[in-house]
Amino acid sequence: MSSLAEPRTTTGERPGGDALVSVRNLTKRFPITRGIIFQREVARVHAVEDVSFDIFPGETLGLVGESGSGKTTTARLITKLIDATSGSIAFDGRDITALGRRQMRPLRREMQMIFQDPYSSLNPRQTIGQIIGAPYAIQGGERNIRGRVQGLMDRVGLNPEHFNRYPHEFSGGQRQRIGVARALALSPKLIICDEPVSALDVSIQAQILNLLEGLQNDFNLTYLFISHDLSVVRHISDRIAVMYLGHIVEIGTAEELYANPKHPYTAALLSAVPKGTGGAHERVILAGDVPSPIDPPSGCVFHTRCPKARMVSGSPDEVPENCRTEFPPLGEVEQRHLCACWYPLKAGEELQQAAHR
Amino acid sequence: MSNAYASPRGEPLLDVRDLKVHFPTPDGVVKAVDGLSFSVRRGETFGIVGESGSGKSVTCLTALGLINRKSAHIEGEVLFKGRDLLTLPQDELRKVRGKELAMIFQDPFACLHPMYRVGDQLVEAVQIHDDMSKKAARERVVEMLSAVGIPRPRERVRDYPHQYSGGMRQRAMIAMALLHNPDVLIADEPTTALDVTVQAQILELIERIKGEFQIGVILITHDLGVVADVAQTVMVMYAGRAMELGGRNEVFERPLHPYTWGLLESIPRVMSKGELLLPIEGSPPSLINVPAGCPFHPRCPHRFGPCDEERPAFKDRGGGHPEACHLTAEDKRKLWVEREAGRTKVAV
Repeated sequence: MSSLAEPRTTTGERPGGDALVSVRNLTKRFPITRGIIFQREVARVHAVEDVSFDIFPGETLGLVGESGSGKTTTARLITKLIDATSGSIAFDGRDITALGRRQMRPLRREMQMIFQDPYSSLNPRQTIGQIIGAPYAIQGGERNIRGRVQGLMDRVGLNPEHFNRYPHEFSGGQRQRIGVARALALSPKLIICDEPVSALDVSIQAQILNLLEGLQNDFNLTYLFISHDLSVVRHISDRIAVMYLGHIVEIGTAEELYANPKHPYTAALLSAVPKGTGGAHERVILAGDVPSPIDPPSGCVFHTRCPKARMVSGSPDEVPENCRTEFPPLGEVEQRHLCACWYPLKAGEELQQAAHR
Repeated sequence: MSNAYASPRGEPLLDVRDLKVHFPTPDGVVKAVDGLSFSVRRGETFGIVGESGSGKSVTCLTALGLINRKSAHIEGEVLFKGRDLLTLPQDELRKVRGKELAMIFQDPFACLHPMYRVGDQLVEAVQIHDDMSKKAARERVVEMLSAVGIPRPRERVRDYPHQYSGGMRQRAMIAMALLHNPDVLIADEPTTALDVTVQAQILELIERIKGEFQIGVILITHDLGVVADVAQTVMVMYAGRAMELGGRNEVFERPLHPYTWGLLESIPRVMSKGELLLPIEGSPPSLINVPAGCPFHPRCPHRFGPCDEERPAFKDRGGGHPEACHLTAEDKRKLWVEREAGRTKVAV
């Protein structure tokens, strides 16, 4: 990590406007310990490594990556549910990296989360009214809780008369609406959606995505939208960051990134998505599995599977030296389009031939 | 047979005729599958799509005799190479299942015993059907693991399942299914638990072995994209019934059923930004209380007179593309063109 100490100036900013969330060089390593009384650290899971990005008011930043790439850890770091190993997080212009639980509490009304599983994220012994009203009860300052809750229920498409029902009386899609209403209760500035539609059937997915978009327009919300589903992320995001093994490897506007991916991993990921157009297409099949985050590869973490590196070296078993030894900095390859690769793809360049070797 | 549908060539391997699977429960009868007919041919990937609870999995479990007859009321025929699997005695069925008719499941984590070595589990699967020495069986297993792309198979047979990644476990499951050169492979959501890049690897593998072993594949999934990519024939299911059945291009480019239209309009397409998603209103019905007439009518924007009373027959109304809808072919063509145009107009 040669560039760890250097301050980053370019993080794919939009011209003008101050960032709502500003993350710099964020790193989280989870220790793996052995021993019963004396816990000795034997290894570390490199969950998030040197991640920097901004989220601007009113936009949706999509965060994509496969399981274990550090998407959810990033979200939990931003909400301060876990503490960073190093790096800084600023929210609304204020550095929150070192804030404790008590100091965070007033800020919690500004940032809320919607979770993946609408079954386990709602307490089965509480009524819908209690669940959606909980933020008011905790943060205080609201007299007519019931009226507010019913207003929210109406807005997210639930029947306000179902105030006294329990979660088990609702379907998966309706439960996710309850989760959305709860997140909205305190009029937050930022909502972190962690795989909000992954557990839902396609016809219901579309309902929830449309609801989230409608709410964003009405309340000028900012979303950090985490998903492994590239079609969904593309649909809802203004800008997208792609993660691989804890690193952001590419970040850019949704159109740019999908039309013109620069990082070989992004290109392979996009080609792996079934297109659903009724017709076979050429896929770039990556060999092997994602390496373990306990012992990530040296240099560029993607070099062990990278088809482009093999194209550059001209041999299926070799990769260029700088790929093996040094992690490429996340640099601007085109305006507002950053990529961490020594050999970014040129426009229209195909990866196929390398992958088929 | 009403199912006069003949697109891919080849003999029908598995022929399901008017299958009904009803589960009596204290709350009422759950009609999980209610009158389903289709056939799968050699060399064909037959995709079954539908949302959760549409009866996809129950259909295949029934075909394999994995639904307990005591807890379910089963009607119809499942003809496999001319024999009806539903009337076959248990010991006969056991000879077919896992040998000529194999299945892989959604969750590769739950399908391998965590305390036995992967190799031993596969060797057991060999020896159940073939009288073979342990050594010979192990050779066969190594050969098969290498065929499905497990690196260093001779060493990896000694590993426990937790030493395999998700994609490798699914490969091992596929190897297990292929040990006896089956004629039909049923894959129930084989890639749902996997990441997209691994999904692409597994789909490629299934496609390859289908060609190499000349088998018929039934691919069950809720992911329309997966089906569109690999299946030759697609059946869309809703509330235990087939809504539409046809060649891939027919179903995806000229779909005939309003439910299929709704499904296609509710998935964002990866290569086109800004299209409005048009979700299907409401949610899938309870299988205890399936709506009368067409099961989709309460959610269908095009419902008219007979829809809530008369169940539309599932039949070919010309074009080798049977479906179950009361609308006339001409209306449907017009409506689909209109809906497509509406969708792209919003996008611009």
